[in-house]
Amino acid sequence: MKNLQHRYFEDYNKNKPLLPGMDVSWLKDLREEAICQFKKDGFPDRSVEEWNNYSYKALTDNYFEPLSDNKVKINLKSLEEKDSHCTIRVIFFNGKIVNIEYNHLPEGVEVNTLTYFFKNNPDFLKNKISTANRYSEERLSNIIDSRPQSIVAFNTAFHHEGAVIYIKKNVKVPGYIELLHLGEYNKNIMQHMRSVVYLEEGSNCEVLENIVNDKASDLVFTSNVTDIHVCDDASLSFHRFIKGKSNQIHINNVHSLIHKNSNFFSTSIINSLGQVRAENRINLLGENASTKINMLMLGSKNTVLEGLTRVQHSKKNTRSDQKARIVLGQNGKASFQGKIRVNQNSDGTLANMSSKSLLLSDKARVNSKPELEILADDVRCSHGVTVGNLSEEQLFYLRSRGIPEVEARKLLVNAFGNTILEDLNINFADRAKKIMLGYYNDTI
Amino acid sequence: MGTALEIKDLFVEVDKKEILKGLSLNIEHGELAAIMGPNGAGKSTLASVLAGKEGYNVTKGSIKFLGKDLLKMSTEDRAAAGVFLAFQYPVEIPGVATSTFVRTALNAQKRNRGEAELDAMEFLKLAREKAKELKMSEEFFQRAVNVGFSGGEKKRAEVFQMSMLDPTLAILDETDSGLDIDALKIVAEGVNRLRDDKLSGIVITHYQRLLDYLQPDTIHILAEGRIIKTGDKSLALLLEEKGYQGIVEAN
Ligand SMILES: Nc1ncnc2c1ncn2[C@@H]1O[C@H](COP(=O)(O)OP(=O)(O)OP(=O)(O)O)[C@@H](O)[C@H]1O
Ligand SMILES: [Mg+2]
Repeated sequence: MKNLQHRYFEDYNKNKPLLPGMDVSWLKDLREEAICQFKKDGFPDRSVEEWNNYSYKALTDNYFEPLSDNKVKINLKSLEEKDSHCTIRVIFFNGKIVNIEYNHLPEGVEVNTLTYFFKNNPDFLKNKISTANRYSEERLSNIIDSRPQSIVAFNTAFHHEGAVIYIKKNVKVPGYIELLHLGEYNKNIMQHMRSVVYLEEGSNCEVLENIVNDKASDLVFTSNVTDIHVCDDASLSFHRFIKGKSNQIHINNVHSLIHKNSNFFSTSIINSLGQVRAENRINLLGENASTKINMLMLGSKNTVLEGLTRVQHSKKNTRSDQKARIVLGQNGKASFQGKIRVNQNSDGTLANMSSKSLLLSDKARVNSKPELEILADDVRCSHGVTVGNLSEEQLFYLRSRGIPEVEARKLLVNAFGNTILEDLNINFADRAKKIMLGYYNDTI
Repeated sequence: MGTALEIKDLFVEVDKKEILKGLSLNIEHGELAAIMGPNGAGKSTLASVLAGKEGYNVTKGSIKFLGKDLLKMSTEDRAAAGVFLAFQYPVEIPGVATSTFVRTALNAQKRNRGEAELDAMEFLKLAREKAKELKMSEEFFQRAVNVGFSGGEKKRAEVFQMSMLDPTLAILDETDSGLDIDALKIVAEGVNRLRDDKLSGIVITHYQRLLDYLQPDTIHILAEGRIIKTGDKSLALLLEEKGYQGIVEAN
């Protein structure tokens, strides 16, 4: 492992001139600081509490080439047209920008690539892309540990592209903005994307980060880190749909700062045969800030899917609601770690968490861990975890009405996942449904 | 006429425990048979075996339905062939709307029989009609199957499903329990409306009141895992008088 850390450190130094924004001094400092942190911490192993469910052996046993020039070309013609609810679509292929599509750019909305902003408006991004260090979290034990975030540090050092969404004061963006990340890789490479979403006071926006790596490929390691800032009285939906094949390690982190009277809603739908980890680290920084975090993880053969949320209640009268649903077939593995931390004086906090798993095979494994750290007095928290199989009683009831077994199973699995879909609005529900149907058809 | 259902010398084990012990029963086309019997006698077990529930091990005997070996058919094929069981304890299915459930079932049966499926409009029209007959509000179409239904509503929903699926063999397992007096009448009328010379029925009940409405052709007493006595309406009256114990002892 030490070797590997060193090798990536060397890679960083070698590739430095190719990384975008190195002429921006704060960004250069940020990258340097991050690579040093990674050199010290390495990839998190199972001694790191938040990473102790399953090993990331494929990550540490292999070497992934940075910034490799992938020869695969995108076939734009085969791409589905922009959805009718989608106002702006940004298309990345293998980490490079392909197109920004829109019929009409709404006033007060800036959407462009990270490299565009580095070149044209780097000051805007200052302090909006955070160091991994800033996410190091204080535990009850007062220990501050940076290791859980070492992949964020890695991403901070190596990121080379991403999207920036900037919504100005009181602007309500119609429809939604899609960040489409397509991947089709042909060798052991890695790719790190960094995005920023910034909503000014009173604005309103919905974003879909749509990551599709569903072509068979060699083993690849990709990471997407998104820094989100929602100013007062604003509302953001940031959903992630992640579809992937077996040879994929994807780490996806969302870091959100939510201010007064604002709302943040995120739904992650993950359907992959590879190893995917989606984190949501949310800090409710202003009074009456609220968040809803939903996750639907669908896995089967050899899958390892992990969801982690950490909601920090830092002010009075903040609310959070977390809902995870996991469906696993064959020898799939998954975990959900849901954390709620209520800081001192954050009275009037309301925090709910529920995690339910449905195992379709006796070889499937799931690990669900709720964690509460409560330092305030007037707090209402609830959490529930269940793990179960399809109910024989329900199956018999459906079949006794003439519904064939496979269809009955689909109906029940669908009902289980629907809890997550029902919270989505029409902009996203149909797309989410397609992912679910694809999964059921493949798995059940 | 002719025999619709022919159960011969049926032995059934559940969890290695013998529940049915040589049960025989014949039901004609268009016949409505009532089965009465003490708690734990095996009435629901018989219903489950007819519907094809797993875990019910038939160790001996045979069941013929419309000339076919029922025991060789899958649960869903039995349903498509016309077997309908109104459950003693209807199952709750969160997340599945009642209308989705019934439509999926109806169309699956039609597909199985090679008939044309109903589209959404045709289905809704039929469902509205049937719901109205049973004095049920349409609001329940959108509710998850049996979730949050009162005991009586669940039973009424079973009869709704039955009238939608239009079976040839209906097994009503204590569909009257939990119903208030008015609901019982509505449900009984619903069942009577379905009766014709193609429908055979088995009504499992503990109470005379339902039988007064349905006027079954035959009454069978199931005790100790078999039919110990068969008769007409007067048997139910004898039962009121003597109790099961009296009849068991006399046989
Ligand atoms: N899964 C099972 N495992 C063990 N015993 C069972 C099982 N299911 C049923 N039995 C037993 O079989 C017997 C018959 O049960 P059944 O439900 O058929 O009775 P019933 O005649 O319908 O009674 P009731 O009038 O109370 O509804 C009972 O003694 C019951 O405990
Ligand atoms: Mg019973």
